[in-house]
Amino acid sequence: MRNCALRLTSLSLLLAASVAYSQEETIAIKAGEILTISGAPVRAGVILIRGGKIADLGADVVIPPDARIMDASNAVVMPGLVDASAIAPVRGDRNEQSNEMTPSLRISSGLDPQSKTLKRILQNGCTTLCVMPGGENLIGGLGVVVKTVGPLSNINEMILKEDAGLKIVMGSDATVGNRIPRQEPPTDFYFRRPTTTMAVAWMLRKCFFDAQQYAASAREEDADLKVIAAALKGVIPIRVNVRRAIDIRTALRIADEYRFRLVLDECTEGYKVADELAKKEVPVVLGPFYYYPTGSSQYDEGREVNWNNAGLLVRAGVKVAIASNGQDESIGLLTAAAFAVRHGMPRAEALRSITLVPAQILRVADRVGSLEKGKDADLLILSGDPLAVTSRIQRVILNGKTVYQMD
Amino acid sequence: MRFNFRTTFILVSLVVCASGALGFAGPVRKKLAIQAGRIITLAGPDIQDGLILVEDRIIKTVGQVAEIPWDAEVIEAKDKVVMPGFVLAHSSSGLDAPNENVPEVPFLSTFDSIDPIDPYFEDSLRDGVVAMLVLPGNNTLLGGTGTVVKPYGRIVEAMLIKRYTGLMISLQPPVQSSQQYEAGSWSYKSTVTTNRMGHMQHLRRYMAELKEYLEQYEQRKKDAQEQGKPFDEEIDPRKQPMIDLSNRKLTAFIYCDKAADVAKAIEIQETYNFNAVLVLGPEGYKAVDLIRSKKLPVILHPNLIVWETNEQTHAEEMKVVPLIFHKAGVKFAFQTDTSQYGRRYLWHQAATAVRYGMERTEALKSITLYPAQFIGVDDRFGSIESGKEASLLFLTGDPLEAQTWVDRVMIGGEIVYDKAKDVRLKKLLEKPKPQETLPKSTDQNTD
Repeated sequence: MRNCALRLTSLSLLLAASVAYSQEETIAIKAGEILTISGAPVRAGVILIRGGKIADLGADVVIPPDARIMDASNAVVMPGLVDASAIAPVRGDRNEQSNEMTPSLRISSGLDPQSKTLKRILQNGCTTLCVMPGGENLIGGLGVVVKTVGPLSNINEMILKEDAGLKIVMGSDATVGNRIPRQEPPTDFYFRRPTTTMAVAWMLRKCFFDAQQYAASAREEDADLKVIAAALKGVIPIRVNVRRAIDIRTALRIADEYRFRLVLDECTEGYKVADELAKKEVPVVLGPFYYYPTGSSQYDEGREVNWNNAGLLVRAGVKVAIASNGQDESIGLLTAAAFAVRHGMPRAEALRSITLVPAQILRVADRVGSLEKGKDADLLILSGDPLAVTSRIQRVILNGKTVYQMD
Repeated sequence: MRFNFRTTFILVSLVVCASGALGFAGPVRKKLAIQAGRIITLAGPDIQDGLILVEDRIIKTVGQVAEIPWDAEVIEAKDKVVMPGFVLAHSSSGLDAPNENVPEVPFLSTFDSIDPIDPYFEDSLRDGVVAMLVLPGNNTLLGGTGTVVKPYGRIVEAMLIKRYTGLMISLQPPVQSSQQYEAGSWSYKSTVTTNRMGHMQHLRRYMAELKEYLEQYEQRKKDAQEQGKPFDEEIDPRKQPMIDLSNRKLTAFIYCDKAADVAKAIEIQETYNFNAVLVLGPEGYKAVDLIRSKKLPVILHPNLIVWETNEQTHAEEMKVVPLIFHKAGVKFAFQTDTSQYGRRYLWHQAATAVRYGMERTEALKSITLYPAQFIGVDDRFGSIESGKEASLLFLTGDPLEAQTWVDRVMIGGEIVYDKAKDVRLKKLLEKPKPQETLPKSTDQNTD
């Protein structure tokens, strides 16, 4: 018996030691150029990675003798990309149809850690992404921030931040297809509200009012109102999906009325209200990008496209993140940023808009978004300038481990 | 007063007529000297600080800075990269409707359908395209003949480079309802085919009937000659394009939606002795070996990166389509579409291929020289060399960089696009003018 216990202890000690050893392995990346994003770029620098974190970085870092050296002296190293609004990897529909307001639903329940799209996303350099519920419910539910590590058996290993945002949809998207079925009583299961933009605003106001009442009184537990109340207090970021300038203004007005802070998604006509957004310090998550309205009802709204939306918003002083927001994963955030620069966004801002800014908006900037001591070792090794179409991602490192390597 | 006006009018018209007559009397050979920072000729090595001399729309010499003829108009582009204009070898945009709703309409021409006002052409010019083959769509078996145009001009005649170029054959069975067929049943022998068996059969039958028709025609001609009668029967104009295809006066552009269609395309091409260019669908790369062995030119699908999924293991593998063809030594041309960000630019397609390892010059030729060869305008377009038309792009930087813009476009020695004067682009990039605020209402409505 005692022997057994001893054995067990020694075994566990051994295990612990091996784990500790593997975690303590130091990787030294010799980089031709390090784009830290948070600070100035470093020419011919070294990044030390230990235990999945960045232990040190800079031009004059001493490489420990036991470090495994990764040579990237002809390459550019930058932080892993952060996609503040992605659709993959979720199994099934992202829109719950039983109700038009489903604030307490968590998209993380639908996450698929086996998703094959993870590989595609990784290959495009995205190491952190925020998955939000779909865009057909007025209040869709709670989003989640995940690392694109996978395939995994345990979903919790992916999750960086649960309840990372409450999805609200304004404009006509929340009303698409919502009609009273003919010759059916309005109590029918398929009857969904709202059917007008007026009702969109009214239902949101009512919901926020109820949540405030709920928070003030000691009523019995209400999962939905609890989430809304937490969002109004600022515990959960409110992400409002809007395109038209008129809807952006409505969102700002309601945010003023109920005194909450919000993040705007898509924001196609954001350039028209750039000054107001800057004054109110409202960050925006742009994307998907398109040159002209496609003719489908969803993008017809907000049809006054300006290719330089990102640039004009940044110049007005708005915090801009560029996200894929459902765009084909073969495009990648780097291409989106490269085109933002083509159309007038300053280069440094474009690089921040796919790394640090989305990390800040998602409130995970203490872990990801830039190359800094103590942050997660999520980084990309590129063959050249990240914003050049001809540059290729050679290697993706996530939590200190190589998860993609160019063949 | 009236008299005065009249005299002025007559005087002015006289002057105009005189100058016009002079213009016609002696050919004024317009000379241009283009001073370029860098010339990507695609006919030889790049030239730094080069000079292109153009005479009467045609490139005379290309080389290092030399003496500029005294009578040449100098076009200064010392900070620009000058390269041949892009050529698009396959497009079905800019038409009111690309597909007729009956399967055998080889006698139709896109010339009758091109809409010069379509913003597609304006965009194409802005993106550096100087020549494009507009073909019917992929939903018709024998869709009709194409038209090579420049994306510039208010009427199709002004846009025209070459009529009656290429005939579209689609091996993809039409995606249409049978009702649509019935509605369009004015055509002879229109039958519904919705699968590949029937679709191919349709084509074979058409060709067999064409052969029969020609034999009978020849017989009638022979009979008439034997009988000493005059023979003035003309060939059925509806059949003429297919006859020209058989005589290799036209090139077949065969759309292969699936990789398996490539084998069918080759069967057709060999059986009926056609000149053929393959227009590939997204999975066309799977037939690369077959295409290589037959040495057929290829137009790639706009989707250049394909993820192949193993049906058993669900493991995914990335396929870079242009690289596969490049490594196999198959000549190809890129094409564009507007479905996705970036893909609408030919330079972006070439840059994507270069990212994954394609050779730079080859990638550039795949958007200039090769498509020009495929559509038969390489005597005028596709490279900068003596004897070709001066259809050039003036770029602000390297053609494969996202930050590079087309600054000016010259087609046939004439500047037809200037970014500085592009009002619509300005509107798409610049801050909108502040909206007019409504004046405050003076009457107080207290109701």
